[in-house]
Amino acid sequence: MVSNLINPDKRFLEILDRLRDKSIDDYYNPYRLFKWPEILPDDMWWMSPELTTTYGTSVAERLTEQQLHALSKFESINFYSLNVHGIRELLIEVTRRIHTKGFETPSEFFHHFIGEENEHMWFFAEFCLRYGKKIYRQPSGAGMEMPKPEVETLLVFVRILIFEELVDHFNSRMATDDRLHDTVRAINRIHHQDESRHIAFGRELVTVLFADVRRTSTEQELAGLADYLRRYLTYSFESLFNPHVYRDAGLADPLAVREELLVSPTRAEFERSVFRKTSKFLEKIGIIP
Amino acid sequence: MAVTGSIDEVRDWILRRHPERQTIDAEENLIQTRLVDSLTFVELVYVVESTTGVEIDFDNIDIQNFQTLATIEKAFFITA
Ligand SMILES: [Fe+2]
Ligand SMILES: [Fe+2]
Repeated sequence: MVSNLINPDKRFLEILDRLRDKSIDDYYNPYRLFKWPEILPDDMWWMSPELTTTYGTSVAERLTEQQLHALSKFESINFYSLNVHGIRELLIEVTRRIHTKGFETPSEFFHHFIGEENEHMWFFAEFCLRYGKKIYRQPSGAGMEMPKPEVETLLVFVRILIFEELVDHFNSRMATDDRLHDTVRAINRIHHQDESRHIAFGRELVTVLFADVRRTSTEQELAGLADYLRRYLTYSFESLFNPHVYRDAGLADPLAVREELLVSPTRAEFERSVFRKTSKFLEKIGIIP
Repeated sequence: MAVTGSIDEVRDWILRRHPERQTIDAEENLIQTRLVDSLTFVELVYVVESTTGVEIDFDNIDIQNFQTLATIEKAFFITA
């Protein structure tokens, strides 16, 4: 069915060819590309301070600079851990679809996508294990709801897109932040480079999939979809606030810290900036009113 | 290991998120009634973890343990 939607769309087909060519031209060996120093100094920003969850909050006011540096380390490990598990889950969904009926046309692109994501998962996991000695895990409620099959593929690719855009907000900023260590900048820069192709593809695909779902759904179903996606954006944003991070950074009552941050006056602006482009896109195609 | 809090704190947390409800029965299915769904499940697990003070292994979560307040209590709060 995805092939049927793409095949008459000359523009989409050209984009697929262009993205494939770009993947081939930009291809690199991730296992040789990065320098992995034995240790990274503890007393530095591991993440741009403006991108940490405590920035500008009452929680940050209570901490010394050294504690903030330590917190930024655990927050960065959480951020890369979210990448590891987000990628693992999207690989399952894309691998489930490649070379099956209905997905003939995007399958060649999927090969690049799967290959690149596998490599991203490797360097993010490598960073977590080397410098954090662990990968954070989040409890998964996946599979609790069973959407209609026509909507399921749309949901899979919207969720992938939201995840990639969220991550890219951080990558694109950290790639050029000279307060950060070279190794940190490098993984963010490389990921940002690859993800610009994935996001370009994701936006095109979500646009055609939603146009189709819109034709075949009731008003009520569309309202339910919009509501779910709004909540999904919030859920994705809140996954940055991991109580285990606050615990590992030595803060007392980590869940209360999370709750304090989630109701902090700076939260709304942080969330808006993370999803500024994403929300604009989702509103433009009409999936969110 | 000793457990500190009580299941009432978990019930209160769910009720705070559902102002339309006054009570939740111990046997009421939280997932079927959508008091908890895929997007709030994470927080439910955090609340159970924080209330009991016992770390939960996120890689081996059995969703059956989270169906009702009674099953949550049995799995995480009652230590024989
Ligand atoms: Fe990626
Ligand atoms: Fe990607």
